[in-house]
Amino acid sequence: MADVPVNFFHRQSHMTDETISTERSRRGFFAGASAQIGLFAIVALLWVIFSTLAPGFTSPINLFGIGRSLAVDIVIGFSQMVVLATGGMNLAVGSIGVCAVMLTGFLLQDAGMPIPVALAGGLLLGGALGWLNGFAIVKTGVNAFIITLASASLFLGAMLILSKAVPYNTLPPEVGQFGRMRIWGYVSPLLFIAIAIGAALYVLYRHTLLGRQILAAGANPRAAEMSGVPVGRVIIISHTLSGLLAATAGIMLVARLGAAMPSVGGEDWLLPSFLGPVLGGTLLAGGSVAVIGTMIGAALVTTIRSGLLVLQVGNFWLQLFLGLILLAAVMADRYRGVFLERRSLGRK
Amino acid sequence: MQLSIEGVSKAFPGVQALDKVSFELRPGEIQALMGENGAGKSTLIKIITGLYRPDDGRVMIDGQEMSFQSPRDAIAAGIGAVHQERNLIPRFSVGENILLERLPTRNGLLDKDAIHNEARRYLDLLDRGIDTHTEVRSLSVAQMQIVEIAKALSLETKCLLMDEPTASITEHETEALFTLLKRLRDEGASIVFVSHKLEEVFAIADRVTVLRDGKNAALGEPMSTMTRQNLISLMVGREEHIVNKPQRSVDTGVVLEARGLQTSFGHRDISFSLKRGEILGLYGLVGAGRSELARAIVGAAPITGGEVLVNGKTADIRNVHQALNQFRIGYISEDRKNEGLILTHTIRENIAVTIWRRLAGALGLIRPSAELDAVMPYVERLEIRTPSVEQKVGNLSGGNQQKVSVAKWLAANVEILIIDEPTVGIDIKTKAYLHELIHEIAAGGTSVLLISSDMPEMVALADRILVMHDMRLVGEVANDRRYETVSNAIMNRIHAVEEERSTATAG
Repeated sequence: MADVPVNFFHRQSHMTDETISTERSRRGFFAGASAQIGLFAIVALLWVIFSTLAPGFTSPINLFGIGRSLAVDIVIGFSQMVVLATGGMNLAVGSIGVCAVMLTGFLLQDAGMPIPVALAGGLLLGGALGWLNGFAIVKTGVNAFIITLASASLFLGAMLILSKAVPYNTLPPEVGQFGRMRIWGYVSPLLFIAIAIGAALYVLYRHTLLGRQILAAGANPRAAEMSGVPVGRVIIISHTLSGLLAATAGIMLVARLGAAMPSVGGEDWLLPSFLGPVLGGTLLAGGSVAVIGTMIGAALVTTIRSGLLVLQVGNFWLQLFLGLILLAAVMADRYRGVFLERRSLGRK
Repeated sequence: MQLSIEGVSKAFPGVQALDKVSFELRPGEIQALMGENGAGKSTLIKIITGLYRPDDGRVMIDGQEMSFQSPRDAIAAGIGAVHQERNLIPRFSVGENILLERLPTRNGLLDKDAIHNEARRYLDLLDRGIDTHTEVRSLSVAQMQIVEIAKALSLETKCLLMDEPTASITEHETEALFTLLKRLRDEGASIVFVSHKLEEVFAIADRVTVLRDGKNAALGEPMSTMTRQNLISLMVGREEHIVNKPQRSVDTGVVLEARGLQTSFGHRDISFSLKRGEILGLYGLVGAGRSELARAIVGAAPITGGEVLVNGKTADIRNVHQALNQFRIGYISEDRKNEGLILTHTIRENIAVTIWRRLAGALGLIRPSAELDAVMPYVERLEIRTPSVEQKVGNLSGGNQQKVSVAKWLAANVEILIIDEPTVGIDIKTKAYLHELIHEIAAGGTSVLLISSDMPEMVALADRILVMHDMRLVGEVANDRRYETVSNAIMNRIHAVEEERSTATAG
């Protein structure tokens, strides 16, 4: 059954209309890859500019700082990417992240739990809150925007009431020590965690049943459903994963700050969470993800933030820049969408 | 108005919808435009009304060649139309919808009174029961159709094209419409009337043009010279390329059985059984409820009564995932662009989607080589023309897309396969090929429920043919592969039901 003549495809290669489509798809592939290469070039250019203007930019201590922020930014980007893949979004990533932060802080400081238990507790809460989002979206059929807009406020409010917004400052010293740990002088172990998560996600989307089902459901939920993909289940799983990743990012922040503070997440995550994936080439319409792209996208965000900090340009400027960049990225996404659509219509 | 269409052709990707079609409409006549589904009627209407532009040929009004760029141009030239698709804005009122293109204003503001008075005038010609202030979305389908017609009338054009205007309205409203159309005709208007209902055509039309496979089968023949039988045979035509497989009688066990099914679409008392290796045809006109029944069976739409049995056991199928993995039932959708395929994904992914579950090993990992090995035989067997399976399906021609949507369900290796309009928009060669393949999979033991509006296809493939009309099964026709007798038996069955119903409502 698997015997396929090798020359099977070559037989068709003279056909003109198919050749045109190949040209198109090749261009499409390069357009996708070149977007990431272009992005990488922009990041590299910014590094040149920042290190020229401020020599302190490439100092080991600053590199270490950048690495730590980058790790968190990457995971925040992933937490948004996994729901963008389904064609949805999660406006509650920041709220879920900070809920996990505060629970972890509580378990460590007030409940006196051992570190692994406290971490598991925080991650579990994140997953549970994400599951709740997914469940509400699938069961009500209301779109992810409204559901997660509401839950973002709900989760954050509940957290503030329960924690009375009091930070947990006296965590076991190991937590802060891990956050300050340097490998080879300037690399944070947090960065390895982020990269490991990236590798796992890459395998998920490339090589597993679930990943394939997620992308199929994101590209065309109706066709996926009619092909036997359990679309509802896939959406719930994606939101659970998003919650889990948001919690991971939160806990990474706890390690970085050595404390669990109620002010670390919330709306501050929203912009970076979209910036990473969208810059990296994840389609907002769903059905495609760019794991490596998301990491480079996050690098751009971190670079700009750190660069402006080193140059002592105010935070207001940072907001302005990030806004502009998102706008540019969304326009690029729109262009890619139109491009894909044109190609899928197969003409003009 | 004298409207002449001369040698008009129109092609869509993968299909020649119209091939040098002519049509001629005189002032003061009602002309019927007939043909089977896909014969090109709606395409012709859309060309006349400026929605499509012909690839070739001329549209002439009163001896002058026209070149419409948009529906607006056609309306300006005096052509009004009721299309098959609805063109109403759900949240606007009936009155606003009727006068949408030229809402009356006073001092720059909409003149509400004028809107409703004006709209009322046209609506009263058909139905006094509809309030012009009602939002369109709260109307019934029949009422919406009436509003569509009123909207076309309000243009007061000298030429009116009606594409199946009576498909969803009641007997009573149809009568009112006919009285009105005859009056308009007597005042000198030219009217084109598209309908599948022979009775209506005989009741109202003066002449008839018949299209078959995008070509003229009859051009402006007087209705007085037509009989029912020759109108049917003009529409269905003599079939030259029937693959004459001998008639089969399948005597195996029943694999799928429906007992008194009801659905939220309005199906009632649907009972039938499908045997192992059998090809059971399900014929009906558009809107008969065939695809909806298929969806209900595979769990994509709710069943509200009765039961489905698979291999003798009651099957409560809630979704396609379950239908595929638990009951081994597949459904090849007629709507391949929205439902059958993921256009932005590759051929490989589109075919493998039904078997990923089977391919997945530990931790849900799918080996790319295993996936390719599973997909390639179908790409080859179906002769999907592509330089690579990594090609996006959206880039393929219609025929090749259809092959992919068939391939993915062949790969799934299901026991029961529901195939919905497998060859719509497919060229003859591919069509013959798919027919051969359907015979082959049935011979291999797969049970096939074949939905098709293509009569020759039905006759060539089915072992038995169920006839569906208006959400009910109205008969079963044995298929002896003799085209004329089988197609006549089917059409007569449908028309007999129509007649029974109209006598019932009249009496």
